Amino acid sequence: MILGLDMGGTQTDTVLVERGRVIRATKTPTGDDLLETLRTAIDHTLGDLDPGAITRLAFSTTMATNAIVQDQLEPAGMIVSAGPGMDPAWFSVGPSYHIVDGCLDHQGYEVKPLDRAALVNAVSRIREKQIRVLGLVGKFSVRNPLHELQMAEWVGDVFLHKALGHQVSGVLNFPRRITTTYLNAALYPLQQRFSEALVGILNEKALKAPRYLLKPDGGTVELGKSDALPARTAQSGPAASVMGALALDACKGTTLILDIGGTTTDMAVILEGVPLFNPHGIRLGPYQTLIRSLLTHSLGIGGDSEVRMGKNDQLKIGPLRKGRPMALGGPAPTPTDAMIALNLLDVGEKEAAVGAMATLGAPLGMNGKAVAQTVLTTMAESIAEAVEAFLYEINSQPVYTVHEVLKDTKIDPTSVLIMGGPAPQITPYVGDALELPCRVPPHHDVANAVGAAVARVTTSVTLQADTQRGTVIIPEADLEQDVSHRFGLDQALILGRQVLEEQARRMGAEHETLEVAVTEKQLFNMIRQGRITGQNIRLKMSIIPGLIPHWIRR
Amino acid sequence: MIRAARKTGLIFFPAFDWAISPDHPEREERLLYTQDQVLEEGLLDIGGIVEYRVRPAGFEDIRRVHFCVPDEAAVTTESHLISAGGCLMAADAVQKGEVESAFALVRPPGHHAMRVVHGNRGFCNINIEAIMIEYLRETYGIRKVAVVDTDCHHGDGTQDIYWHDPNTLFISIHQDGRTLYPGSGFPEEDGGPNAKGTTVNIPLPPGTGEEGFLYVLDELVMPLLQAFDPEIVINSAGQDNHFNDPITNMNFSAQGYARLNARLKPDIAVLEGGYAVENALPYVNVGIIMAMAGLDISTVKEPNYDQDYRRQRPEITNYIEQLAGGLKRRFLREAAPRTSDREGEVVERSRDIYYDTDGIHERQHEKIRACSECAGALSIASTSNRGQHILAVHIPPGACKACRDTGHRWYEQGEKGPFSHVYLQDRVNRVYRQAGGQG
Ligand SMILES: [Zn+2]
Ligand SMILES: [Zn+2]
Repeated sequence: MILGLDMGGTQTDTVLVERGRVIRATKTPTGDDLLETLRTAIDHTLGDLDPGAITRLAFSTTMATNAIVQDQLEPAGMIVSAGPGMDPAWFSVGPSYHIVDGCLDHQGYEVKPLDRAALVNAVSRIREKQIRVLGLVGKFSVRNPLHELQMAEWVGDVFLHKALGHQVSGVLNFPRRITTTYLNAALYPLQQRFSEALVGILNEKALKAPRYLLKPDGGTVELGKSDALPARTAQSGPAASVMGALALDACKGTTLILDIGGTTTDMAVILEGVPLFNPHGIRLGPYQTLIRSLLTHSLGIGGDSEVRMGKNDQLKIGPLRKGRPMALGGPAPTPTDAMIALNLLDVGEKEAAVGAMATLGAPLGMNGKAVAQTVLTTMAESIAEAVEAFLYEINSQPVYTVHEVLKDTKIDPTSVLIMGGPAPQITPYVGDALELPCRVPPHHDVANAVGAAVARVTTSVTLQADTQRGTVIIPEADLEQDVSHRFGLDQALILGRQVLEEQARRMGAEHETLEVAVTEKQLFNMIRQGRITGQNIRLKMSIIPGLIPHWIRR
Repeated sequence: MIRAARKTGLIFFPAFDWAISPDHPEREERLLYTQDQVLEEGLLDIGGIVEYRVRPAGFEDIRRVHFCVPDEAAVTTESHLISAGGCLMAADAVQKGEVESAFALVRPPGHHAMRVVHGNRGFCNINIEAIMIEYLRETYGIRKVAVVDTDCHHGDGTQDIYWHDPNTLFISIHQDGRTLYPGSGFPEEDGGPNAKGTTVNIPLPPGTGEEGFLYVLDELVMPLLQAFDPEIVINSAGQDNHFNDPITNMNFSAQGYARLNARLKPDIAVLEGGYAVENALPYVNVGIIMAMAGLDISTVKEPNYDQDYRRQRPEITNYIEQLAGGLKRRFLREAAPRTSDREGEVVERSRDIYYDTDGIHERQHEKIRACSECAGALSIASTSNRGQHILAVHIPPGACKACRDTGHRWYEQGEKGPFSHVYLQDRVNRVYRQAGGQG
């Protein structure tokens, strides 16, 4: 039996699942103390069950996200080296940001050595501020980590933790590498405390099975392996619902996923069982990062959103949530009140819901029922509008080859899978607004927790080989090797796979789930003075999100 | 987040799967390191820099400009159509007000492609700027356009297409044709009888540096633009004036290109040549994007700039000052009013055109009706050593009745003549016709 938990802003969903069945599902209010919430949710769910029956535990938590958006990060010092280009001072982050001289070019050749004296000076200024964690980032360090490794060596062991830019991602983007490295440094002590405390709670409850945290890319990482790169577990909630969709529905064809919650509606697209990825990296609060994530969009409309009369006598839903629905004693009318007024839902005081609708419609001379209908059609139309913008954005992604321009790769959903609490009630309205067949999976109200429970480990690597220079590099794995002139695509693929699998196993993957996808494969002849002098090979390989073998979709 | 002072569109199409031939300089790898540099700088995350997905142009867009022999399909590949389409995207983005300016960072280039196209010249098949300009005229009713070509090679294709058009000011700044392909672009080449003075060539000596380029920009190009007062300014942003470029002899830099762009403030920039793919293009392109977006460009430079860049020599400075003085007299102070003393007459010229890439020799005989009311009816009889013998008739946008009639008469006569193909490009009535002749 597996325990899966997805912590949301107001509510924490927990499930026990076994081979395709949801054995138990609970909802616990999310409190200010996350660990206390975790403890309560686990107690609540396990009840008097034998903890020895649990074979796996997986958590999607808001720890990292909260720390970022509530500004509870540990002060982290930053040292960067850049060379010419955009002024690195523009990317200043944290309380002690320093730029030292040194430059690598886009091929990774050293143009200017690192200024050791400046580095030493920066370190002492950071230490003067009693800062315990440090981020070290060089421009083009994913092409050659030399300067970052030199920085780390010259800094020595005077910090609790040093985060290195080339390890966070192999993707080129210096400003995002800076912010991502900063977050990994600034979250380190928090994550360490959090995972220690969580381990304590689990041990105390005799829950000894392997423990995993969910990541925003729809994959998991073993709890014990999450400390070094803590930022990669932030904002995993939307990924939990996407993985829940995959667990509860085959997601054939092009499926639009809508998770309609209390305050938001999250959307995503699954293409023949594989979710679409955000091509750049997730945004965490004010920070643009290089953290891989599924492509999701969050709209500020949910079952508990405030409904009010806006301009031109048009109903306006969200983005605020004033509290619970009026039928449950809340302060403002909500779509849930509309559902109750229309007898679609039987909770709370119906009269309060009907009254809320009548008051809303009074200025227009509309009766309560008519207003309630309008609330739900307006909600569905707003969702449909956001879906259209989301799809437009996806289909406007630039492409860089003749082949991709000419082949029509337009993403056009063939059906919609709707999850979340109000899913059954709102689905007919959304179906009309989107003009697409819609369905609601079983356990739609805890699909996110199911997703967390059964998501397998994911990871990715970026390989770049330059046979003219005679090197191959996989920055995420700290791999740098000399290669001969004859090193080709086939060898690159073998090496990439080997490193990827090793990395996945280190993160806690089980052998049979290592399904490797080559997401980018490019080979360029390097032509100098009219001759082919080498080859430039670029690969992106990943273990794509999927379900652990234990789970059997029913 | 950093924000651009000017909202800028970027249309990036590196054609990573297309080359002229396996070891040709116009190759898959050409914009690879530019992409690396642009991505690593994080330019696409800057608020106000918007990247667009390209779409291919259609043959109808080519027909407004070119006479393709025997037809469009024979002289273009998909990549040419996408490169031209990238320029059309740039035009749309600017004209619809989505962005203030746009940069079509696309390949293959186009500025050596002339009105009649038998094949590839100087790596170019179709003139992507001209296709964009005629699209702007057709779609958005724009009339007066200025093109400033800052590629190291004379933009002889664009010059050819706008030779007779008084509504297009074409200014080319390039390495002196006595020292570089294609060997043309001298001050005496100043436009046809109906468009004297709207073609301006500024041949700079080998070794011209930042100072020289910016000097002719301030002293000559900016005043010329002010006098002409175009509705839109286009920069053919070739990047082979760079001091790291292996096949040219100029001494320009990324910083110089960025400053030039910041002062010129083109509405649309289009990449042309430049084959120092590792040590010039990445930095020049970053400089141009930053300049267009109105960002601080003071930190733009090549990693080897401090070590390898040499300032312009004094004798070159003197030469350029003298050259600019002469050009100023010719084009600004003593600019002749545009009236033809041969009104209504047909003016003829003959010339030979060589297509270096494809090894084609073309012989043209051109007739233009001298006209002060419009750009004039134009006919070109063209013969190539590939056995083509064609007649092409162009009736310009806004042509007067006399020129329209002349054009139609020439076309009808051509149909009975000894030509393998006869073409009509009637921009007034939007009629594009092609007929097999009697030949
Ligand atoms: Zn050139
Ligand atoms: Zn006329």
